[in-house]
Amino acid sequence: MRRRLTLAIAALVLTAATAPWQWTLPAGMRAPRVPADNPMSAAKVELGRRLFYDADLSADGTMACATCHEQRRAFADGNTTHAGVHGDPGRRNVPGLGNVGWMTPLTWADPRLTTLEAQAVVPVTGTTPVEMGMAGQESEIARRLARDACYRAMFARAFPGDGAIDFPHAARALAAFERVLISLDSPYDAWMRGDRAALPPAATAGAALFRRDCGACHSGPLLSDGRFHRILPASPADPGLAERSGRAADAGRFRTPSLRNVALTAPYFHDGSARTMADAITRHPGKAAAPAADLAALTAFLTSLTDRRLIADKDLALPDRACGMPL
Amino acid sequence: MMKMLAFALSAALSAASAPPAAAQDMAMPQGAPVCPRDAEPIPATLAAWADRKPLTAATDEATLGTAVLAPGTAIDLALAETPAVTYLVRPSHPGGSVSHGGMLRFTIASAGTYRVAIGSGAWLDVVAEAASLESVGHGHGPNCSGIRKMVDFALKPGSYVLQIAGNGEAHLPVLIARLD
Repeated sequence: MRRRLTLAIAALVLTAATAPWQWTLPAGMRAPRVPADNPMSAAKVELGRRLFYDADLSADGTMACATCHEQRRAFADGNTTHAGVHGDPGRRNVPGLGNVGWMTPLTWADPRLTTLEAQAVVPVTGTTPVEMGMAGQESEIARRLARDACYRAMFARAFPGDGAIDFPHAARALAAFERVLISLDSPYDAWMRGDRAALPPAATAGAALFRRDCGACHSGPLLSDGRFHRILPASPADPGLAERSGRAADAGRFRTPSLRNVALTAPYFHDGSARTMADAITRHPGKAAAPAADLAALTAFLTSLTDRRLIADKDLALPDRACGMPL
Repeated sequence: MMKMLAFALSAALSAASAPPAAAQDMAMPQGAPVCPRDAEPIPATLAAWADRKPLTAATDEATLGTAVLAPGTAIDLALAETPAVTYLVRPSHPGGSVSHGGMLRFTIASAGTYRVAIGSGAWLDVVAEAASLESVGHGHGPNCSGIRKMVDFALKPGSYVLQIAGNGEAHLPVLIARLD
């Protein structure tokens, strides 16, 4: 009897893991683009979540994706930049990951990074700067993961018929997890859906200012146009888009960041040089002398973009169990 | 993380005013100090840092009796491989299987603010009654001192366990010092 029950539960779990993925999104919001060779599944998201919090993806086991992308900060980081595993200074401010499944291109100034699968490789094996320090050690990642029986089972479920344990598959699972970091449940969202009481008066006033003065670039559901703009003077320390394009005219141009959860993701700008929202606003062209009342209204509006569900969702947090066992 | 690197004194001084935080993410600021050119003195409260005795960390509750640190004294803590450690409370930033960790017990005789200073960016928890305590401040050590990270706790008299998780090296300098 117990054996039959166990088999039945296992079958249910397997069915759930392999069932077609269902997005839960607000009305009118289209699902993020998913590469055809990396379809979503519950098993893949579960694997990606575990990998996201696993420091074995770094050279000495001290740094996970979650080291820099903390859930309580909307998967951003409270530092100007974050050093790499070997102490290399960080180069750019850590962006939040809310709604990253819709963002393209990804990161601050690399138009080539258009999929999360490609981007996941950068912090793990990148060298400019070194972050997690695994360049040339991709096989070591596979070795570490493969010696864990639960990981072997999770990879097999996530990639049925394949199940290979290697870094490319790990990157695909990480991408699947990142696609479920959805942040569309803020007071602003409720207000946009028609709940006029969702925003306090100051935030409502800020929304009007925002639409007038900021909405050209911070546009759409993500509050980003996904394009590259020069807000701060170009600096030789970081050429921005010019580094990839080779065009001098692109010096100092960086992709418009999403402002979702911006109250949780300080400091701001690609170099983390603005410590507060007011500082960031006044460093935009033409805003240096913005009236205090406008700054207060804009700050109130920006604070309404905080999605408490994202930072409290236990399904996005450090997992405490895997394969039915405590971690 | 950063190994044996210290940071700007201004950052260290900011520890006292840092808001209560469970976060200890001490990222390297840009413009890291050049040692010994940028060296700064170790404050008197942390003077014991320079004279460290060896101590082997506990790997579970049963071995905590052999890993005891007296506040005010510094140690070079020999850590275990992370898979061999059974923490009292699961660290919120667990190290990978190739990292190192361990625990030690310490006793506080009088209430006050105590600073845990360590020589790396490892995650640390102070545990009492099966719960990790909220810190009251954090910061970096003086430039070139070897103190990489400092986390402050308001502690009452009693017994506590210091948990170290996700350290890259097998050894870690540790000092617990009273601030007030």
